[in-house]
Amino acid sequence: MIAVGALLHAKHLSRSPLEIAISLVVPVVQATLAVYLLRSGGAGDRLLDAAVGAGMMGVWSSVLFGSGAAIQNQRWQGTLEMIMLAPRRPALVLVPITLATALTGTYAILATLLWGRLLYGIRLDFAHPVAFAVVAPACILSLGLFGLLLAATFVLLRNANALANTLEYPVWLVSGMLVPITVLPGWTGPLAAALPTTWAARALREATGGGPVWPSAALCVGIGLTCAVLGAFALTYVERRARASATLALA
Amino acid sequence: MSGLRLLTVGGVIAYRALFNWTTPGMFVGTLLVGPLFQLLFFAYLGRQLQVADDRFYIVGNAVLAASLACVFGGTMAVGNERRYGTLGHVLLSPRSRTAIFLGRAVPYAGNGLLIAVTTLTGGALLLGLRVPPGALPGLALALAVGSLSCACFGLALGAVGLRLRDIWVVSNVSVAVLLLFTGVNVPAAALPGWMAAAGRFLPITHAAEAARVLAAGRGIGAALPAIGREVAVGAAYAVLAAALLTVFEAESRRRASLDTL
Amino acid sequence: MGIAVEAEDLRRTYRSRTGWARARRTEVDAVRGISFSIERGELFGLLGPNGAGKTTTIKMLNTLLIPTSGRARVCGYDVVADTREVRRRIGYVFGGDRGLYDRLSGLDNLRYFAELYGVPPREQKRRIGELLDLVRLTGRERERVEGYSRGMRQRLHIARGLLHRPEVLFLDEPSIGVDPVAARELRGAVADLAAAGTTVLLTTHYMAEADELCDRIAVIADGAIQALGTPAELRARAAGRVGTREPTLEDAYVAIVQPS
Repeated sequence: MIAVGALLHAKHLSRSPLEIAISLVVPVVQATLAVYLLRSGGAGDRLLDAAVGAGMMGVWSSVLFGSGAAIQNQRWQGTLEMIMLAPRRPALVLVPITLATALTGTYAILATLLWGRLLYGIRLDFAHPVAFAVVAPACILSLGLFGLLLAATFVLLRNANALANTLEYPVWLVSGMLVPITVLPGWTGPLAAALPTTWAARALREATGGGPVWPSAALCVGIGLTCAVLGAFALTYVERRARASATLALA
Repeated sequence: MSGLRLLTVGGVIAYRALFNWTTPGMFVGTLLVGPLFQLLFFAYLGRQLQVADDRFYIVGNAVLAASLACVFGGTMAVGNERRYGTLGHVLLSPRSRTAIFLGRAVPYAGNGLLIAVTTLTGGALLLGLRVPPGALPGLALALAVGSLSCACFGLALGAVGLRLRDIWVVSNVSVAVLLLFTGVNVPAAALPGWMAAAGRFLPITHAAEAARVLAAGRGIGAALPAIGREVAVGAAYAVLAAALLTVFEAESRRRASLDTL
Repeated sequence: MGIAVEAEDLRRTYRSRTGWARARRTEVDAVRGISFSIERGELFGLLGPNGAGKTTTIKMLNTLLIPTSGRARVCGYDVVADTREVRRRIGYVFGGDRGLYDRLSGLDNLRYFAELYGVPPREQKRRIGELLDLVRLTGRERERVEGYSRGMRQRLHIARGLLHRPEVLFLDEPSIGVDPVAARELRGAVADLAAAGTTVLLTTHYMAEADELCDRIAVIADGAIQALGTPAELRARAAGRVGTREPTLEDAYVAIVQPS
């Protein structure tokens, strides 16, 4: 039921030109930016990192805006109440949506890799190609699960979009999506360690450039699953609260 | 006199009517905090890769911060007429289209200026950038000109939005393109020739250049040529917006191509 | 008296293209040659089934659409060439709840359109006050339109249409979705306007409304005028088709658009 739902939603999202633009064009622009930044920073040998990193940035944007918009759009369409009325746990209804946003985010990685290969002749020589093929989908799905927790919080917020718009760059920054940032203030360390995005970026970087891929990947999946459980509890609570305070339909 | 009133009073009412992001949460989150994080992202990236100094990133991204409000605002200023179904009633006005629509760009430019100033202040305080006090008036001018030209750019996009169903795609892509082509985050010298060339025809590019010159304490005289170029770019987009609106209106009367109901 | 609105053999064809690679052009003749004239101060009704061409006709008269062929004049000005003069003299109200800035108050909506429609700044306040009284929105004018009921929105539409004291008012299904009490008040307001000398072109689906208000009625179907006359003349056409009872305008309308 979750798989069917996720595929349906992914299909729905794939038909929206806006979604395509955000998950294809914007990451490619970001990747281009990254390539020139790395080149002028004398790190021209890490261009594959840039391609993968920019793709991951796209996955995060897709999950973030997707989860925020999922709720908002359902509200505007007047379908949020319908969804909550379905005789299923609310988490089971929302998980496919957030997983779908992660899946459409995959376009971003594919796009940036293809773009890097074709335009900049970046050689796709992954240190652990098999690991990359396994870890990338796993991390993307974990981000989708993290999206559930986001969506659960967004249900409560009238301005979910505002929060989503704010959270794009800081997560890119703190989790070191493009390159690990060692010059950040120390207090951001624990924050980064708690974010599945950090471990996803790290696992993928280790898969492309070499390193112990599996521990980071396992952490990412672990945090993703924890978020899913937390999100499910939160949603159940939120649903009850919303029914009591009649905020479900608020648009 | 009455034209001026249409430009100002009309512009402000239209801003309140058509701008989606005026709620405090949206305004602070999307327009004030968002750009500040963007600035931090690129500044730290720049530090990490040692591409350029803090001043390059702080000043450049502060100028660019205006683009979000201006591009999306301009799009909403025209495109949202469709959402409310008010376009027909506006087009029934016997008054100058140029005054009606260009007046709408002004509040967004003001908005953009506010954001740019806030972002610059925030970025400078957080990262410890010192700007010579004497440069402040010039900087304000550069930021204002950048915002205005960006608002005209947004208005032209908004005009396109009258005909295009998915205008949000265009504005999202435009914002991303501004990020890359304006040389705000990658020094123009490091960009391929055609990107840097395209950037010269986009808003923000020249304003960012002027602002950097000013923040470096080189005086208003050194920045004026770049400010002049930014004004020219903005004026060109204003003319483009007015031309598009005129053409679309005329065409709509012939071919019923706009949603005038 | 004089002529306020004059249409001569108005035609309008919509062309649309479907498909990209092999574009297929389809043409729809929405209005196929309509001629009529409305006297100053007259209340003229335009009746007809959905898609008959009523709104297209109105949009050609109010300058939003250019006729494919034919001519039209409003207050003596050509609707294609003298748009500015025409627009100064017309008001346009249509039914439904779109067409207002939802996030502005009713007052701000009126202020904005007063600016657009060229009401002199000095007069604006008084004029808006008068109209708010007329449509009975005084006291609610500072609330956002998104909270207005359908009837309130409709009344705000009317106030907007009257801001610049138009000589000719186009009312396109103004009573759609309005409750009976409000509809009656609306009819009263329209009748008052006509009595005060405003020329009104009204489209409606409510036969009783047309019968009560209109001096003359044109029934259009398939883009052409099928009948034109006073309500009494139209009713007389249906005489004998409804047995012994007095025929209503509805009987006449059905007889015209659905000839047996």
